[in-house]
Amino acid sequence: MRFNLDMPAWKWPFYIMRHPFEGFEDLRWKKAYNMKVALVIVALLFIVSVCGELMTGFLFNHSSVKIFNIVPIVIRTIVIFFTWVIGNWALCTLFDGEGTMKNICVNTAYALVPYIIGQVINIILSNCLQKTEGAFITFISYVTILWTAVLLISGMKTVHQYSIPKTILFMLITILAMVVILILLVLLVSLFQQVYIFIYSIYTELLYRFSNLEPTALIFIFIGAIAAIFAIVVAAYTAYEKHQIAKERKKLNS
Amino acid sequence: MPSIKRIAMRVTAAAMAAATLMTSVAYADEPYTGYNYDWWGDPVPSQNGYVVDKVYTGADMGVDALSEPSDMFFSETENLFIADTSYKPASGSGKGRIVVTDKNFSLKYTIESLDLSGVQDWLDEKQSELNAGALSQADFSKVTNTVFNGPTGVYVDVDEGEETIYVADKDNDRVVAFTIDKIGDDKYKTAVGKVRTIYTRPPSNMYDSTVTFNPSKVLVDAAKNVYVCIKSITKGAVVFSKEGDFNGYFGANRVEATGEVLLNAFWKLIFSREQAKKMRRSVPVEISNFDIDNDNFIYTVTESKSAETDILKKLNSAGTNIYTNLGYSDYTFGDYLTKYYRGQTYSSQITDIDVDENGVINLLDLKTGRVFQYDDECNLLFIFGGIGQQKGTFNIVNAVESLGDKVYVLDGRKCSITVFKQTEFGAIVHEAIALFNKGKYEEARAPWEEALRRDSNYWLAYIGLGNAYLNEGDYETAMKYFYYNSRTGYNDAFKSWRMNFIRDNFTLFAVIIIVLLAGIYIISVWRGKVRVRKRAEEERMFKEKNKGKEDV
Repeated sequence: MRFNLDMPAWKWPFYIMRHPFEGFEDLRWKKAYNMKVALVIVALLFIVSVCGELMTGFLFNHSSVKIFNIVPIVIRTIVIFFTWVIGNWALCTLFDGEGTMKNICVNTAYALVPYIIGQVINIILSNCLQKTEGAFITFISYVTILWTAVLLISGMKTVHQYSIPKTILFMLITILAMVVILILLVLLVSLFQQVYIFIYSIYTELLYRFSNLEPTALIFIFIGAIAAIFAIVVAAYTAYEKHQIAKERKKLNS
Repeated sequence: MPSIKRIAMRVTAAAMAAATLMTSVAYADEPYTGYNYDWWGDPVPSQNGYVVDKVYTGADMGVDALSEPSDMFFSETENLFIADTSYKPASGSGKGRIVVTDKNFSLKYTIESLDLSGVQDWLDEKQSELNAGALSQADFSKVTNTVFNGPTGVYVDVDEGEETIYVADKDNDRVVAFTIDKIGDDKYKTAVGKVRTIYTRPPSNMYDSTVTFNPSKVLVDAAKNVYVCIKSITKGAVVFSKEGDFNGYFGANRVEATGEVLLNAFWKLIFSREQAKKMRRSVPVEISNFDIDNDNFIYTVTESKSAETDILKKLNSAGTNIYTNLGYSDYTFGDYLTKYYRGQTYSSQITDIDVDENGVINLLDLKTGRVFQYDDECNLLFIFGGIGQQKGTFNIVNAVESLGDKVYVLDGRKCSITVFKQTEFGAIVHEAIALFNKGKYEEARAPWEEALRRDSNYWLAYIGLGNAYLNEGDYETAMKYFYYNSRTGYNDAFKSWRMNFIRDNFTLFAVIIIVLLAGIYIISVWRGKVRVRKRAEEERMFKEKNKGKEDV
């Protein structure tokens, strides 16, 4: 063994970066999956994306700085990352994949390290280079993205113990799964919106019905009604719990 | 973070500009809000470059009310010629007249009829054509009419003080060139046009026999070639020689590469000739108006709603478009965005163009009633006018002209001419842009600074100031002005700034690099030593552990 693998958790991503093929195997062998490091990497990905939007030099910054919006960046990094993890897990568990959710999460995060480093270098370079030297930036981003892709394939292959063609196939299918998950998410959100609109329209309906009442009084009535429903639910639940406890006791006594 | 700071600065600047704008609107009482476009292509409030001076109707000029006038022209003798298209003459025959005033709108003369005695040879020729059956009676009476029938275009060529008036006599299928001998002493100062040449439909072996010949606009270049703009022809303007011979077409638009056109080109590869014949032909959009500048460049505009390319072209005598050969083909003229507002889509339809003696271009937008003023490098200077009923707004705009620092807009529905005068801000910007386009960046600095003081949203001022500082060698200030205003300008400034920065701090860089290299070397040597020592230690431990055993 040339390398001492008893290293602290934060050194693992860099070790894996330098050893795209055996790194993940070593990680698996040592059972050194560390969720904290993975989450820090995801957070860094988000921060780097924000910085890329705000701090990339003017010559290379094609994002609209005039209206900076953080929501697309959150979706682009954090939401996509976790949908990938969930989608991949949900799919590969059904097809003999050995990876747990945690392992997939950690492997994916570790694979992102070259991309993050490349982005940081690009942000710094974009403030030092002029337009004609932009080829360096393009080169670095291509290389790091390719590196990340290789790491991702290797990581997914190791975590599920697949062959390479099967890994690539399931990665492509995972993308489809992600699309499905995101569509369902959007549906869910719009459903909740509908619920909100429903409650709000009841409120306005009441407002028109009882237009002789003060709106403040109406709000009190509304809150009162909701509180009453809540109280009934709570009462029913406590009654049920009491019943269960009594049952348990009876069992114990007998 | 510099960009956030910059954004904050911009927001404050915009708010301040809006505040100034509101006060200025309250003061000047304009029915339109001045705006301009910034680097992002977003409309931002701006100071008005032009405000309404006065509105003139037919009565103000001393003639009967105008009736759907469709063109006007300022001659070099500073007389204004108005093509009053639908005017009904008292004599009852014909339709339309030409009203001529001086630049203060006091009447000089009006022309309602023509005298064809000067072109007897041409008349005889037409008569023989009629007798031979080559020309129908209706066509003959049209082209030999002694009154106008809906004149829609007028142009005046001044040669040694003598005005030759060219009128596109639309429904008479001809362009007439005539001079004025004497002016009548009646109320309207009626004059009879003494015809010099009549330009009619070219012989059918040269000109497509299926299309009509209804000239809508006309202009004449320095060689006295006559260019006729015809709405039904997509091959460009029809060019006649001075004598009236057909010379060909000039300045056709390109066919826009839309999806349908590309698909048709693909099918044509596969189809047989008979099938291809039945397909819809891809023809370019016709040019709708033009103007000529002092250097004999012809500017054409396209009114089509859907056209995206060739909205404004600057053509040299060979018919090559200067504005696409500069290396940029993404010029945008008129409003950048198509707006949907109260059930109507607003996208610019440039209906007329005027180029003044300094090369300043005024484009007239039919849809929004606005005048878009550009300098000769196609930088947007001002936007003014609009649709409405107040002074300074229009119903149907038909023509734009300029003289000195005034801009004249002809409204075909209101039948009036609105005169816009330049504001103080407009004068400052014009002074600055004139110096700027001559390359006198340092001289332009003071007016640009003044412009920026009055309107911090004015994008061109940032470019101007950036170039001024760049020329002076103050790269850091230049970068500040170019930041989020011009990428190429910023690049130039940054290049020089970086060069200077490295040159000034060369020793520092050299020291840093040497220290880094030395540091890397020392660390690698040290690590190598540590590794060797570690390995020796491990080997010793291993040997010690296995001392008693026979073979290892």
